[in-house]
Parts: sequence; structure tokens; C-alpha cells
Amino acid sequence: MTYQSTTISNDLDTLPKLPSWVTSGRAETLETVAFRSGAALTVLDQLVSDQRHGVPVKLLANRLALSAATATSKLEGRLAREADIRDAYHLTPSGEARGPDGDLLAFWREGARLRAGGAGETADFVDADFAGEVDVWLDAGLERARTHGPLAGCVAVLRFVLEADDRAERVACLLSDIVLARALNWKIVLPITAQHLTKTALRDLVAEGQEAELVAQTRILESIEEKIRLARDLARRAEALRAVAPKLRSKGSDAAVDLFLAEAAVAPASMLSPHVQGTTIPMTDRAARRFCDRLVELGVAKELTGRPTFRLYGIAP
Amino acid sequence: MSVAAKRKFADEDAAVFDRELDELPQDLRWREWMGRIEAVLFASATPVGRDDLARVVGHGVSVEILIDDIQAELSGRPYELAQVAGGWMFRTRTQFADAIKAAADLGDQALAFTEMEMGVLCAIAYHQPIDRAGLKDIFGKEVSRDLLARLRYKDLIASGPRSPRPGAPHTFVTTETFLVTFDLQTLRDLPELDLGVGNADEATQTVQV
Repeated sequence: MTYQSTTISNDLDTLPKLPSWVTSGRAETLETVAFRSGAALTVLDQLVSDQRHGVPVKLLANRLALSAATATSKLEGRLAREADIRDAYHLTPSGEARGPDGDLLAFWREGARLRAGGAGETADFVDADFAGEVDVWLDAGLERARTHGPLAGCVAVLRFVLEADDRAERVACLLSDIVLARALNWKIVLPITAQHLTKTALRDLVAEGQEAELVAQTRILESIEEKIRLARDLARRAEALRAVAPKLRSKGSDAAVDLFLAEAAVAPASMLSPHVQGTTIPMTDRAARRFCDRLVELGVAKELTGRPTFRLYGIAP
Repeated sequence: MSVAAKRKFADEDAAVFDRELDELPQDLRWREWMGRIEAVLFASATPVGRDDLARVVGHGVSVEILIDDIQAELSGRPYELAQVAGGWMFRTRTQFADAIKAAADLGDQALAFTEMEMGVLCAIAYHQPIDRAGLKDIFGKEVSRDLLARLRYKDLIASGPRSPRPGAPHTFVTTETFLVTFDLQTLRDLPELDLGVGNADEATQTVQV
């Protein structure tokens, strides 16, 4: 049986995007970066906060967690690739050790779930030598964000953490993301900071200097602009999936669709079967495989690994 | 005891164990908390994490500061309070290793390694998660299951994610005991190596998306 393939609609006109006069120029000073980041954050905020745009925010956060894990693996010198990290996380049998790559993704996924406003919660999560200082740093970062703009707040927190421990890159980046989320009043933490930062940029940041501040802010801004494109893209893909959902009348398909709208990668053998993850709705192995194959035929999902076995499916690019 | 403290008492079902020690003067409370942490660490064979230590002292009291105070008292003692693998533990200072060896017949050292065992352990540490096929690629020969079982018996390695190869073999990852044994805080404390070489053959396994 074949299905008519759904084309992903290209409603570029209805979703908010960055005007070209913001993206065209090169940032040269802290002032221009602050100006551009204001525009970029407004757009991203609209996409994330207004449900009418249909951006699957959970999926976006999980997708960004994977990017952040890849970026921080590089900052920490382990150099694991995105596919390795995803495999380590998804292919670990429950109860067994994930290894450093899987643990890193778990760190970011749990970090993204830290409610942006929860006091004390973050300190408990970070659980390192400086757990006592986390809330102080976050408050100082937010204060800086209030007076100098969100990116200045992010960079201030990066600096606090790295000055205390120059190898705590993942914590530094997570706290920066939390400051951003709090400054914008988001309910969820989007892992944005890590992706474009380099070891050199972070080292220079601790060594002080106006130049380093500008570099770090520009990197975070680049990442924000990229996330706008990703959010728009995910909104279109999610819409395509929602459009075909009524056609999928297999048992448990609604729950499975919800899972695809929340997870960047879905392993049919463990996440859809014997129960759709997070629910008690049963699904057989065969039904799970068929369901994923059907989404691929309909053109709304992709197989992500290119492997004949241990396949992972997702709608995220 | 104040009314507020009594309420706290009842609320938490803490009648069996008094964390707060409200009736003691401040300096004696602090002393008692230090003693408790020391006792817990002394009694434990494995490192104890911050959360567990926080359970024996008052709410919101900094475990770190208590530990700093204990450490200050231990300077000059032949043992130290060391931070390893996300927790703390007592251990003898390395300078007394010879004295300990001379005094006690330590028998079969649980952590004596053959060269091959050490090699495999290093390979796993740097390349984890890695399966037997991956180890074979590194050493150019099969790594025996016995050797891996010995490392696992010593709790230096454990099962990691399934390898996405036919048969879904388990991979191996290092454990917390591994970190403690080699005095590492995290895997980042491993000496730096150029890891770019080992990844070449894995590139065919997955398509980057």
C-alpha cells in the first residue's frame, strides 16, 4: 500500500522571522550586537511563547539538548559526534551505565527541563563544588541582563562559572541558558549558548577583555539566529505531521504522534513498544515498526541513522 | 525548644534522627556536624556524595564548608579527606604506601594489572563506549572475555549502551571505581590524547543528519 506523500508546506509568510536589515550587517560593537540580539530574541520569543505558531517547543528543546551536548563534548575535549551521543543515549538498556556521551546528553535534556524560575532546583541539579554559589550567580546574571541586555547577562554568568572552575563548561553554558530563559520569561530552558562557543572564546573570557565579551556575545547571537530558523522549520514539520495524524488510525497512533512532537529521535523498539513511552498504551514491535515506516512514506518523518538495524526516527532535521 | 523547631520536628518525622540539633549552642552543633560527616566517611568504603552527607547535618548547611574545616584539622595527619568521583572519602597519603606495604601482607592485590589489562582499560577509558570488535580494531587481536570479566569483577568497567552492530553486543564503559582507583575527578583528568585517529572507521556506521 502506498500513501500520498505530504508536502511540507512553506508558510514562510505567516511565521515570524528576522527582517533582512537585521541579518545583513556584520556586528562590530557591543551596541550593534545588543541591537541585533534584541530583534532576534523578540522573534524567537514569539515563536516559542505563542502556541498559535505551532512550534513544538519540547521537541525544539530536546533537539537543542543534542546540539548542546555535541558542542560541550567538543569544549571538554572528548570530541564525540552527534550520532555517537544520540546512540549512547538511546541504545543504553535501562539501568546500565550510559557512558560519558550518553550522560552528557542526559545532562542537557534534564537541564532543559529545569523550570526557568525554580529557585534552588538548579543548584541541586548542578551538584558540583559550587552548588552554593549557583543562585547568587544566576541573580547577578539576571541583574546584568536587566541593565545591559540578555546577552550581557549570559556572558556574565559564563564568566562567573569559568572563573570558579575553568573546566565546568557544561555548567557555565547551562546557567547562561537559564539566565536567558528567565530574562525572557520562558517556561522551558532552551540550550542555546554552547553551540557556537569555542575553547578559545571561553578562555579569553576568563582572561578578561572587552574583545572577548564581544566575541562571546556574537557567538551566542549567531546561535539565536540559527535557532529561529530551526524553530520555523520544526513548526512546518510538526504541522505536516499533525495534518497526517488523522489518517493514522492504528492503535496508539495519537500517543505516538505526540511522542514524535516531543522527541528528536524515536527508537521504535524501545520507545514505542511494548508501551508508547510515557503512557500505558500498548503497541507491538511490529506495529511500532510499521508506524515509523508509514510516517517515512508519508514524508513527515525521517530515519536518522542510515543503519539497517537500531534505527532511530524523527521529524527534526 | 522553640515552637517552630518542634513543628519542624513533627513535620519531618525526624524523631529518630535529629539533624538540626537546635538545643546545642552554635559551635557545638558545628562540631557535631563535622563529627557526623567524618563518621559517615570513615564508615563508608566508597566515596560519599554531597546529597548523602547533607542528610546528616542541618538543612541548608554547607557540606563543603564543613569538609573544609575537617580538612584543615587533618593537615599533618597520614590520611586525608579526598574528593573523588563526585564524592568524598578518606584515604592514606601516598607517601605512606611503603610503610603500609612493609607492615601488612596485602596478599593478592586486587588492583594489580597485567600490561594487557592496563592497555585494555586505557582503550576503554578513552574510547568508551566501545565493544569487543572495537577493541579488536585497536589491539589487532581479540581481547579475551576472561580479561574483560576480570576488569568487570574489579568493578573498573561496566556494560554501556548496545553497539549498533549485528548481534547488538554490549559496549564497555568505565565506572566510578575506575575514577577513584586512578584518582581522577572526571574522565577529563585522563592525560590528553589525539583521539581523532580512532574515529575514522566509525564514520561509515552512521550518516550525519
